Parts: sequence; structure tokens; C-alpha cells
Amino acid sequence: MNRTRRGALIASLAALTLGLSACGNGDGGGGDGDASPIPIGIIADLSGATGDVGTPYNQGMLAYINHLNAEGGIDGRMIEADSNDYAYEVPQAEDLYRQYVNDGVVAVQGWGTGDTEALHTRVGQDELPFMSGSFAESLTDPNEAPYNFVVAPTYSDQMRVALNWINEDSGGDAEVAVFHHDSPFGTAPVADGQEWVEEQGYGLGYQAYAMPGGQQNYVGLLNQAQSQGAQYIVIQNVASPAALVARDIADQNLDMTIVCLNWCGNELFIDTAGEQAAEGHMLIQPFAPLSVEKEGHGIINDYLEEEGIDPESVGTSWVQGWYVMHVMAEGIRQAVENNDGEELTGEMIREALETMGPIDTGGVIGEGAIEFSAESHRGSTSTGVYRAEGGQMVEVEAGATP
Amino acid sequence: MTATGVHHRSYTSELRLRATRAEYVRLALMGVLLVVVPFVLDNYWMSIANTILIAIIGAVGLNILVGYTGQISLGQGGFLAVGAYTSVILSDRMGLPTPLAIAFAVVFTAVVGTFFGLPGLRLKGLYLAIATLASQQIIEFFIRRDIGDFLTGGLGYINVERFGFLGFQIGGRDVFERQWYVILAILAVLSVMAARNLFRTGLGRSFMAVRDQDIAAEAIGVNLTRAKLTAFAVSSGFVGLAGALTAHYSEVVSWEKFTLQVSILYLAMIIVGGLGSIAGAVYGAIFMTLLPVVIRNVANAFESVVPFLGNQLPAVQNATFGLVIILFLIIEPRGLNRLWERIKEFFRFWPFRY
Repeated sequence: MNRTRRGALIASLAALTLGLSACGNGDGGGGDGDASPIPIGIIADLSGATGDVGTPYNQGMLAYINHLNAEGGIDGRMIEADSNDYAYEVPQAEDLYRQYVNDGVVAVQGWGTGDTEALHTRVGQDELPFMSGSFAESLTDPNEAPYNFVVAPTYSDQMRVALNWINEDSGGDAEVAVFHHDSPFGTAPVADGQEWVEEQGYGLGYQAYAMPGGQQNYVGLLNQAQSQGAQYIVIQNVASPAALVARDIADQNLDMTIVCLNWCGNELFIDTAGEQAAEGHMLIQPFAPLSVEKEGHGIINDYLEEEGIDPESVGTSWVQGWYVMHVMAEGIRQAVENNDGEELTGEMIREALETMGPIDTGGVIGEGAIEFSAESHRGSTSTGVYRAEGGQMVEVEAGATP
Repeated sequence: MTATGVHHRSYTSELRLRATRAEYVRLALMGVLLVVVPFVLDNYWMSIANTILIAIIGAVGLNILVGYTGQISLGQGGFLAVGAYTSVILSDRMGLPTPLAIAFAVVFTAVVGTFFGLPGLRLKGLYLAIATLASQQIIEFFIRRDIGDFLTGGLGYINVERFGFLGFQIGGRDVFERQWYVILAILAVLSVMAARNLFRTGLGRSFMAVRDQDIAAEAIGVNLTRAKLTAFAVSSGFVGLAGALTAHYSEVVSWEKFTLQVSILYLAMIIVGGLGSIAGAVYGAIFMTLLPVVIRNVANAFESVVPFLGNQLPAVQNATFGLVIILFLIIEPRGLNRLWERIKEFFRFWPFRY
């Protein structure tokens, strides 16, 4: 009996010690002095389903922070970013978010639609401004998501612009197939597109198809679109699967025009599909690529030159990361100015973003100015429209709005 | 196994859950641990503790079905979803008090679980696994496609109001995790106690008889149909509770939280913890929830020395997940529970080997 008790006691103590040692130091990093760093959490997809665009987006974000800190930070305070890969898995994103909150971050940069939506209630309760690579319309309503900010035109706005272009290009009579990622990100603009067609009285047929992941080709899906009689394929997915569709269209010699939204409307789509297969397809891209000269690219080009990075290697997703971070940093800068000397909080940053007026992006995002208000967290409604020509993104229209 | 020197002189004594003083000491220590946790852990680790508590309820439920009744199920994610959606729709949309909504969700998930358990009357083993996989796919299809926007009103997710009952409301960032901890710890302890006692009843023993040899069980008078379906119902009830708690704790419900991956994770929990053991389900839930967190902390600590760990963290986590399951299947198929028993035996018999 004694031996049993001693054994149990030792084992229990060991378990207790293990349990206690498991707790990290949860001090947080939010303590403020005048020169204390400003902690920010970044939830990035580097290796998951959307890692092809998630990686350069993350690099752009970190490059902006690098640049900002080299310039002296915000009011002498450095941005201290903790960036971690979550592989596009919602539970991983939730875990990272909770860790960031515990570490005392004042704002969070996220990525996907599913995880941004999964976190938006908690973000609101925790009063932490949250921007992400998701431009889902549901995140722009401060009543629903009070701490989420959408920097670019929403997927739905992009879909509306795409449908406007298709309507004009086709003369108002065409069949449109929407190929979308089979996730909240993919489905985000589908219903809004249907409503837009009805609302505008367009004579366009509209049919949505979920794109299964891990495919070698999308011939089967294209056959369905062909049965529908589709001449236009709007794609709401990332670059790699969209490029596969472009190749299949070229291989099958189909007379179809792809209209890519945001995450496939980039150089990666053209490069992966190949110049010939991509030729003539349309790209709805709210962030101007470096190949189209905008005033706001100057600062990026200077940075790339300083760092010895070839601008040719920097795609639109990288520019997106840079400017989303820029908008957040401008909000933080305003919050610091508004509340001189006070401890910086997420609530201050939200208020600053809502009241600071337009943030200039030098023509990079849509028409160039991003503005939030207490009634709307939709930063912009205007986007660029591009055509793939000779392996390049050629601007067809700047600042197109629905 | 009873410790050397413990003799029962009555049936009551033999039926007691704990026979030795050491077991009472261990129980008391666990009680102390449960009480101490909120005072020593920070918010992040509290959130991990809360996730573990929910996982314990779900894993106990699954172990009743798989470990105790021998009915393999790959439908855990789906049943979690049924509990989550039911509870949230009843509480937030229909205005039912949240605890009542959770109770209804438990009952409804039990009913759904019983329905999807019907193939279990004809199928066994791998065939039943595939049939329950179908239940996962059907439920996932239903919540993912949300035909007619019935579940989410076209949003794709449901916002869940902060948990409150009779004037009590879960508070903000500072107290959120601790208040939830109290609720979840009570429910997890009750679930473990209920499951532990279930297998001392005739019903629980009929489950085990079905698992060990169903034909013999029928021959000695066990109603196979009733036993199998009740096992599905009871197990799904627990899983429904875990699902409902997931929804109210995370304050948002979306299909992405209830995929096949979740089903596999729960199966891994009970395999690693120990099939056919309530304690095993608890150990498995703790182990499998902590595993990715610990790997991340280790990777962060060694990032400067081994950058690969940090750069490829999700891949490293997935690979470790697979490796752990393989190692357990090879080295100790009866899981952590059996390892713990061996440790106890070592101390009990030391310095003798047996």
C-alpha cells in the first residue's frame, strides 16, 4: 500500500510539475514606454492551399515593416511583427490568434476568408483591429465585424466590375460560368454576382461551379461550362488552379475568356499558364502591379533597389502585402498622434482608422485613396482592370467601380 | 489490476471505483490541479486548457462507441457540427436559454447519431467505418452547401452571442478564458464521471459484450440492436455536447471546423490515449491538443539553430501527428493509458519485475 501510494504521489507530482512548466510566460508585449516597440501579429499562409499568393503577400508585409523601421518606425517606435504560417487551417489560425492576444499585440494581420470570419467575433470582443487578405463583403459592416477593415474593393465589388465588363464586351448577351474555390473565400462573391445580374437587368446567364482542389486538369468542369454555353469564365480562386483552367482552355481550343478576380488576377497566373495560354484573359486587380507605373510604386522601387531585389521578381501579391500593411501602419501612426503618450490600444487604432480621412496609396489601390468611416469599413470600391498581353498585365481601365 | 494486498470482503467493496488510498490521493491531486490551473496559467494556456476540456468530452463520447462497443466511427466531425448548429440555432435564433439549447442539442445529436448508426446493425469493422464516413460527408455537405441558406442566412457562418444565463454573462478579454474554464471543467468532469459509471451498469456491460464477441453476447441475452443503437445514441450525445460547447466558446460556427480532419483527429486521440478506457480518452485529448502547440514552441525555440522547423512548421506538425500515431500503434497499441498503468505497476512491484 505504501509503495503504491508513494508511486502515485511521485507520478502525480511529476504530472503537476509538467503541467506547471507548460505555461509560458504570458507577460504580453503591450507595455508601453515612449520607445517601446509596437507588437503586431501576422497569420500567414505560406504552405497551405493558397500559399502560392500567400507567401509573396507575407513577404510584402514584412518588407514594409522592414522599410518603416529603417525609416525610424512610428514616432520613434519600431513595429515588432510576429509572423507565423498557419497553412490555411482555421484551428491553426485560431491558435495563433490567441497566442498573439496573449502576447499583447495591438493589431492583427490575417489571411483567409474562412479564418477571418471564424475570428471576427473574437476580434470584436478583444478590440483588436484586424485586416486580412480576405476582401469578403461581410467583413465591411462595422455592426457585424466592428474591428475588421477591408482595404481593397470587396470580392463582390470585383465581381460586379467583372460582370459590367463582360456585359459591355459581349453586348449584353452571354453565358457566364463562375469557377470558385470550394471554401468561404470562393463562395464569397457568388450570390452577390447573381444579384447584380438581376439588379442591373443584364441579359447574362450565370452559373456557379465549385472547383475541387488537387486536380490535374479542369476539363470536366469546362465541359459543364461548355454545356451551359459559357463564353466567359469568372474565376474566384488563387493563381495556380486558374492557370490550369487557362491551359485547359488553350489545349481544348475553346473560345472562352477568363476573368480572374483578385487572387488569380496577377503575374503568377500569366507565368504559370504560360504567355500563350494566358493571352487575352482579363484580370480584375485592385492593386496596381509594378509593371504599370503608379506614383505609389516609387517607394517600393526605392526599397527594392536598396535591398538589391529585382523588381521583375516582385508580383502583385507582394505589392498587396506592402500596401495593406501600409494602411494599418498609417492607422497606428494616427492613433499614436491622437493619443500622445497614452498606452496604445486596438480601440485607438480603430478610431483613428475610422476618423483619419483618406489614406493615400499613390494610385496603387483602385483610384488611390482608402477611406473608412464608423458606418463602413470598406476602404475602396475601385479596382484596375487588366488584360494579359505578351506575358504582361496591361491596364485596360484604372479605378473601375461597380 | 488490483494492488497487492487489497482484498474485497463484500460486493460493494469490489464495485467501488477506487480501492486504494493511493487512488484517492491521485483523485485529490487531480482536483487540486483543476483548481490551481486558472491561477497559474496565462490567457493563452487557459485557452489551450479550454480546448482540451471540450476535446475530452468529445473523445470520451467517441471512445464509448469505438473503444467500448467496437463500432468504428469516422463521423465525429459531422456529429460535432450537428451539436454546434442545433444549439446555436435554438439559442440565438429561437431565443431558448443557452443551457437548454445545449441540452436539446445533445438530445438531437443523439437522435441523428442513432439514425446514422443504423448501418451498424448490419455492418462491422471497415464496412461500418465507410458507412460512418458517409454520415460525415452527408452532414458536411448539408452544412457546407447550406441549401436555401437555412443555416447561415447566406453568410456561410453564424455569429454566436456571448454565453449568458440568468443574468450571468461571460466577460471580456481578461476573464473570458477563466470563466469558460469553470463551465467547461465542470462539464468535462461530469462527462467523465457519467461515462465511467456507465460501464458499471448493465447497459455499459452489454456494450462491452458486443465489442468482445457479439454472437456470444446475443446468446447470453444481450439485445444487439438495442445495444448498438444505444451506444451510437449515448456516444453522439457526448459529441453533441462537445460540438455545442465549441460553438458557444468560439462564438462563431462555420463548416470549416467540422471536417473529416476533425474526425481523424478525434480517432487519433482515442488511439493514442487508449481504446476502451475513459482515462485514455482524457489522456489522448490532452496529448493530441498539446502536441501541435508544443511542436510550435519547440520550433520557435530552435528556429535559429534549425530554421527548417520554423519554415516548414505546419508540415512538421502534420508529420509528427502521423508519426505519433504510427509509433503508438507499433509500440503501445493500448495507448497512454496502458503506459500509465505500466508506470504504476513498476512502482507497485519495485524492486521486483512482477
